[in-house]
Amino acid sequence: MIMIKRLHESAGVYIGTGNKFLRNISPEWMWKSGTDSCSSLRIGIPRMFFYYIYPGLWETFFSELGMKPIVSRPSTTKTVEKASQISETEHCLPNKLFDAHLAELVGKVDMVFVPRVLSTIKNHLSCPKFGPLPDAARADIARGTEVLSIDIDVSRSPLSKTLLLLGKKLNIQKSKTLSAINSSFSAMEAAHKKMARPDRIKGAPRFLLIGHPYVIHDNFIAGPILNKLESMGVEVELVSFADDTPAKSYILWSTANKIYHEINTLTSEDYDGVIQLTVFNCGCDSMMIDTYRQLMKDKNIPYMYLMVDEHLAQSGIDTRVEAFIDSLRWRQ
Amino acid sequence: MTYMAIPNIGNYTIALATAVESLGINAWASTATTPAALKLGIDAAPESVCLPLKAHLGHFIEADRAGVEYAFMVNSVGTCRLRYYRHMIGQILKDLGLKIKIFGLGFDGFKPPIVRHFDPGPITFIKPLFHTVQKIKVIDELEVAAWRTRAIEITHGDTTQVMNKLLVELSESKTMAQTRAIRKKAAGCFADIPVDKEKKPLKVGLVGEISFLRDKCLNKNIEYILGSQGIELRNFFLLGEELQNITRIVFLNQSRRKSLSKLADRYLQNSVGGHALDSVAYSIHCADEGYDGMIHLCPSGCMPEVSVRPILKRVSKDKNIPILEMSYDEHTCSVGIATRLEAFADVLMERRKKNSSTAQRGKRAGHG
Repeated sequence: MIMIKRLHESAGVYIGTGNKFLRNISPEWMWKSGTDSCSSLRIGIPRMFFYYIYPGLWETFFSELGMKPIVSRPSTTKTVEKASQISETEHCLPNKLFDAHLAELVGKVDMVFVPRVLSTIKNHLSCPKFGPLPDAARADIARGTEVLSIDIDVSRSPLSKTLLLLGKKLNIQKSKTLSAINSSFSAMEAAHKKMARPDRIKGAPRFLLIGHPYVIHDNFIAGPILNKLESMGVEVELVSFADDTPAKSYILWSTANKIYHEINTLTSEDYDGVIQLTVFNCGCDSMMIDTYRQLMKDKNIPYMYLMVDEHLAQSGIDTRVEAFIDSLRWRQ
Repeated sequence: MTYMAIPNIGNYTIALATAVESLGINAWASTATTPAALKLGIDAAPESVCLPLKAHLGHFIEADRAGVEYAFMVNSVGTCRLRYYRHMIGQILKDLGLKIKIFGLGFDGFKPPIVRHFDPGPITFIKPLFHTVQKIKVIDELEVAAWRTRAIEITHGDTTQVMNKLLVELSESKTMAQTRAIRKKAAGCFADIPVDKEKKPLKVGLVGEISFLRDKCLNKNIEYILGSQGIELRNFFLLGEELQNITRIVFLNQSRRKSLSKLADRYLQNSVGGHALDSVAYSIHCADEGYDGMIHLCPSGCMPEVSVRPILKRVSKDKNIPILEMSYDEHTCSVGIATRLEAFADVLMERRKKNSSTAQRGKRAGHG
């Protein structure tokens, strides 16, 4: 009675701890046309931030354009070790992992793709860490490698227009770019659908896992927690970011507002609890946790937050998750 | 008498206190966060938020305990956490059961709520605002003079004494004529300090997060420590400049920010948020102007400032200018800061000696 839906089911390559949800399943939207053109341009996509914000979009887009997209491998303990050696010490964990993913690609590809995601929803903003991301990559980790970048600012121009501009930047015919945009959008929709909610199964306790998309779908950060919840026989749903029109609130960070909107519509009948997954030094979450907690308190839904850093250990997670779920069982 | 607590922004709080008079009430403020207030804030705030929020929160809790009814917190329009400060502080104060009421600068209709609430007459409202602008200009001048003089003064502490005296006079000044008189007097006061004119002090630029650039308690009095080591400072946050910057954005859509982004263009093509662009641009500016080093201050985990650190490192390497990165948290101790600054000053001094000796050798070789 376990239904854990996650992006990793569709991850292409995986080397890791034997998680049965992270098997080598080759998705249809990866390596679509990249196989026949070995001589074509290899473009590296770090498996972090924008990869999870727009799932499935980038691989399809670049392979449709006749390039060979290479996505870095899902993060493991080794990625974290590498990250702690090369990255700025005060970055948040995903930013450190991003640096390690980038370092993995440098040297193996002709250019790396690091867009500047300034906003993903109209009239909203992204985390300020995304602002200097390509510049920081050029300055430090990806120095010497060409960094392909584009400003994604949905408040100013829609994503399709930005992608058209990207095609123009790469000297590709407009018609070809347009068809690539169409197929990449449908690939993104399919990827979002893969992560969509499972139907309610009677009897099983049901939990919602909230957090940034690049946190709850990352193998290193969310893997151990999802493993534990699965082995305890509870149904976990990951918060969906497919909806692009959240109601306006005082929060202007797009992901934070989407989560706020999502949990605002929850009822205690639908879910037995909400688990927030956050990372050490995450600025957005540090401001939002109290709001979420208060909201859940008002709705009478049990809420717990787990903070993950580089020293994440399975046993520590086990203890906390067990305690939370047991206390909820006793409550019933 | 009605009081309103205003946030601390260093010496500029004196000018802001005058602005509050335009509402017909008095300001409750100090020019630096007190350690006691900081402790109150640390206890009340969530643990992972940044230190300036804790400082402001502690300040407002202290104000409530002193019986102050109203508080004012700045609004920001950027991407960083500062944008949510007012909301969060208001929420925490409410949860603590405190009665203090927090105002922002937001508009909902013709008048901002803060003006509507107190409803001052037009003359009461406008006159102190002009006075505020004048005071800000005077404080800008005092700061610049103090940085220059402190590095070359013969007896340590002279400049600080003069500065404090002038600031007290300024805070007591009630009319624009008095302020004008202080402005005239100030230049003479600083000129009277005995200085060593032969001395060529090291020049260091301070960049980073504004609360840390301005608040003496938060930055552990970094300006004084550096000045007394014989280092001439340039702190790149002057409120006068900043206000010009903001108002130009509103009225003429042409700003200093544009020239900054032009300056930083090779390294950073986005304004990021907070003062991250300023940090990068001024580091490049200082390297070109021949400064000896830079110090970058920010609270631990500051979103915009930390994210530009790899870029600052690259600037440091390319332009050959040492940049000291300092991050502060609740446990930062002033002795630790002083040690690091002394070590940095020593490094800069040795570097200058080495550079001048190689330059001389080069000259001699050229003659030979």
